[in-house]
Amino acid sequence: MSEQTNADQSATENQHNQDNTTHFGYKTVESSEKASMVADVFHSVAKQYDIMNDLMSFGIHRLWKRFTIDASGVRPGNKVLDLAGGTGDLTAKFSQLVGRDGKVILADINSSMLNVGRDKLRDRGLVQNIEYVQANAEALPFEENTFDVVTIAFGLRNVTDKDKALRSIYSVLKPGGRLLVLEFSKPEHELLNKAYDFYSFNILPKMGDLVAKDGDSYQYLAESIRMHPDQETLKDMMNNAGFEQTNYKNLTGGIVALHKGYKF
Amino acid sequence: MPQQALCGALEVVINKALSLNSSQEKRSQLWLQLEGKRLSVELAEFNAPFVIAVSDGKVLVSSLELAEQDNAESLSQLGSDCHIKTSLQTLWQLKNEQQLTELIKQEKLDVQGDLKLAQQFASIAESINIDWQSELAKHIGDVPTFKLGQLLENISGKLNFAKQQVTSDASEWLIHEQKLVVTEYELANFNQGVKQVVNELEALEQRIATLAQKSKATKADLKTATTE
Repeated sequence: MSEQTNADQSATENQHNQDNTTHFGYKTVESSEKASMVADVFHSVAKQYDIMNDLMSFGIHRLWKRFTIDASGVRPGNKVLDLAGGTGDLTAKFSQLVGRDGKVILADINSSMLNVGRDKLRDRGLVQNIEYVQANAEALPFEENTFDVVTIAFGLRNVTDKDKALRSIYSVLKPGGRLLVLEFSKPEHELLNKAYDFYSFNILPKMGDLVAKDGDSYQYLAESIRMHPDQETLKDMMNNAGFEQTNYKNLTGGIVALHKGYKF
Repeated sequence: MPQQALCGALEVVINKALSLNSSQEKRSQLWLQLEGKRLSVELAEFNAPFVIAVSDGKVLVSSLELAEQDNAESLSQLGSDCHIKTSLQTLWQLKNEQQLTELIKQEKLDVQGDLKLAQQFASIAESINIDWQSELAKHIGDVPTFKLGQLLENISGKLNFAKQQVTSDASEWLIHEQKLVVTEYELANFNQGVKQVVNELEALEQRIATLAQKSKATKADLKTATTE
């Protein structure tokens, strides 16, 4: 992505912030409306979320998440916040890795997703070190310097004010703690980008319609991915929020990127 | 992400093998000692070390990021209680716990941290004893399992016989042929002989050429004398 495009994206974000509007997919909506619109999407897809993830990504999302966990460097006894944790894929693994002395908080703004996640983890017998919190990433209800690791996987693009969310995450991290953002991003090669566009706008909504009986939500998913800041822009946003040694790694040709930043 | 795919597959295979392990009693005793422990294994064949952890009776396999490994100065920074540096071949030999000391002596294995932990993991690997037939019978029934077992036994017997035959034929052939095989000294001697023949041949050629030239000159002199 060129510097010009990065500047364009930042300028659009600033413009949205100034006139109290934001994007919901390709639509421009009032900032105050986005949260409830996103909530409607996730209330609608919550029950079919896991199966759709497997179908849409051909199961590769499991490897992306595993990579995130490996990159987190989580240790027994750590305190982890799995933000926008949804159905708890990361929480399940973190819970085993931090052990009995550690703690994992599964937080999501959406109660339906949180309920699906809670039921799934309890069915798997993961109860002893997991807590569930319904929370908005922009105003996290935790004390400063609480967590060793914060992750947000496929959640940041749905947040209305991403800068505010990053600042909020920064404040709840302990010094030495790290944030990992796993999110759809911009494919590195033009050919892959075109194939990905075709898949996202032609096949994905039909899949959503067929399996989750909700094509519109998956149309929003495709649009929200295109509206999400690219790799370099997100890195700059993390730096602006105070994170240090920020870097990212493209996965599957940049379809997804893992950003990592430290608080010192 | 191939490392992540490999870790995922390993995790499934190890946990499945442990759940089918018939020597459960031994396993559960060792399990309690290993709870919360982390063993990192750095194999020569792979870029990044694997971390094997035990949590709630399950084995978790993950890989360490290279950057993290490069920055790590001590075991505590790697987050593991024991770090093993070896190769895949040596790791397989570790299944036999008795080999541990011998492999360290041979410098095929480098262990940092709690050696007892490595021994406990090796002991678990050694204790794995899966009754494949009874597991298979649950899915396909007793009779097909028995028939399949017989077939596999037959095939395995024939393969073993073939292996023995090939080995004995090969050793016999080598022993007899060895007597006929040219030694290094003989080959060098032969090469020297060939070189000598080549040199003699060259000298002979040169001599013939000189004689031919001389004979030409004599003939020319005779011709001139006759004309005069």
